[in-house]
Amino acid sequence: MKQAERPGLHRWTRREYGRLIDHGFLDEDDPIELLDGLLLLKEPQHSPHRTAVLLVAKAVERAFGEGWFVQTQSPIILDDRSEPEPDVCVVRGSARDYVDAHPTRPALIVEVAQSGLAIARGRKAAAYARARITDYWIVNLIDRVLEVHREPARPGPARRHWGYASIETLAADATVRPLAAPSMGVRVADLLP
Amino acid sequence: MRSSRHAIPCIALVTLTRAAPVDSIRVMASDEVKTRRFSRAEYDRLIELGVFQPGEPIELIGGELMVAEPQGAPHYTATQKTAKVLERAFGPGWTVRAQGPIGLDDDSEPEPDIAVVPGGPDDYGRAHPSRPALTVEVAESSLAIDRHHKGSVYARAGLADYWVLNLVDRVLEVYREPVPDRAARFGWRYARREVLDASARATPLAAPGSSITVSQLLP
Repeated sequence: MKQAERPGLHRWTRREYGRLIDHGFLDEDDPIELLDGLLLLKEPQHSPHRTAVLLVAKAVERAFGEGWFVQTQSPIILDDRSEPEPDVCVVRGSARDYVDAHPTRPALIVEVAQSGLAIARGRKAAAYARARITDYWIVNLIDRVLEVHREPARPGPARRHWGYASIETLAADATVRPLAAPSMGVRVADLLP
Repeated sequence: MRSSRHAIPCIALVTLTRAAPVDSIRVMASDEVKTRRFSRAEYDRLIELGVFQPGEPIELIGGELMVAEPQGAPHYTATQKTAKVLERAFGPGWTVRAQGPIGLDDDSEPEPDIAVVPGGPDDYGRAHPSRPALTVEVAESSLAIDRHHKGSVYARAGLADYWVLNLVDRVLEVYREPVPDRAARFGWRYARREVLDASARATPLAAPGSSITVSQLLP
């Protein structure tokens, strides 16, 4: 009945979202992503943001190596009401494996956040945790740190809200090891613009 | 926020200052998100194209697509009773519309529970009415939205007489005199708000000779 977070707001399904695109209400250049049924406007791409995205893509490509590919600002499918476009995500296989459908379960998602920090920690973290994304990083441009979110969980008696049980904040001189490629360390300094 | 030099060489654990793990998150509603807005022309086209599920109770309020409150028995009963009472109060020359669309402005097409508009049904065969003389929302779980969200859009459109039939407290809230207010959701609000209990009487601005007892509207 009443929705807990934004009471009353219509939640779009992926099917409806697809029809919006087909009928020209949205096009590929629109800075919009479907997250939990909301058509979210994405954080503006100022140059530090863009630089960080490129740095992250390069660093994680090196860390994961063969058998993985890295996509930037491209759609993934989480569930019936979420088709977000994370800044960077690492997916198993090769790009050709996803000709017919977007990837669904990236091994790592990275968001670069400045003005969108609250959303990256709040709504996006909740949606990613609900989709059991086990490794979610936020490159926090405000504090120049990397936030590593792990252990998706739904605690509390009501068990209604998803989130991450473990959040580590790493400074520039630290090194992070992706869960799915633990032998390769990534220096946080290499991710920061 | 900085890691210590003596920390474990590869991963530095730092005290959490802002990002909070899930068990300490209160609600995730505090981040006010920006979403794609729709114009009324776009909204009409979405309906024409059949993008929404048939019967989905959607309305466009200030560019946002809102889902109308589910119709419980008290809500439906209150709507019917209010329609009947207002038909009698306004008399000939007016039409009482129940949950019909109103072409309010460029980014709003609400479907208020009741709207009293001048003229007959044929006057609106080509376009929805835009300025009801009286607008009524019946509110149970939608109370906050009806008061502040819709109230602000109705005030912005200059609707002179807006009633919220509050089923939670069994009162009628009468809103009048729209005024600009930057702090309001859509830049406008009603300057006057009167709360009438079941035994009180209300008179619509556009039907000054009539008198309605609030209990006649309540389920």
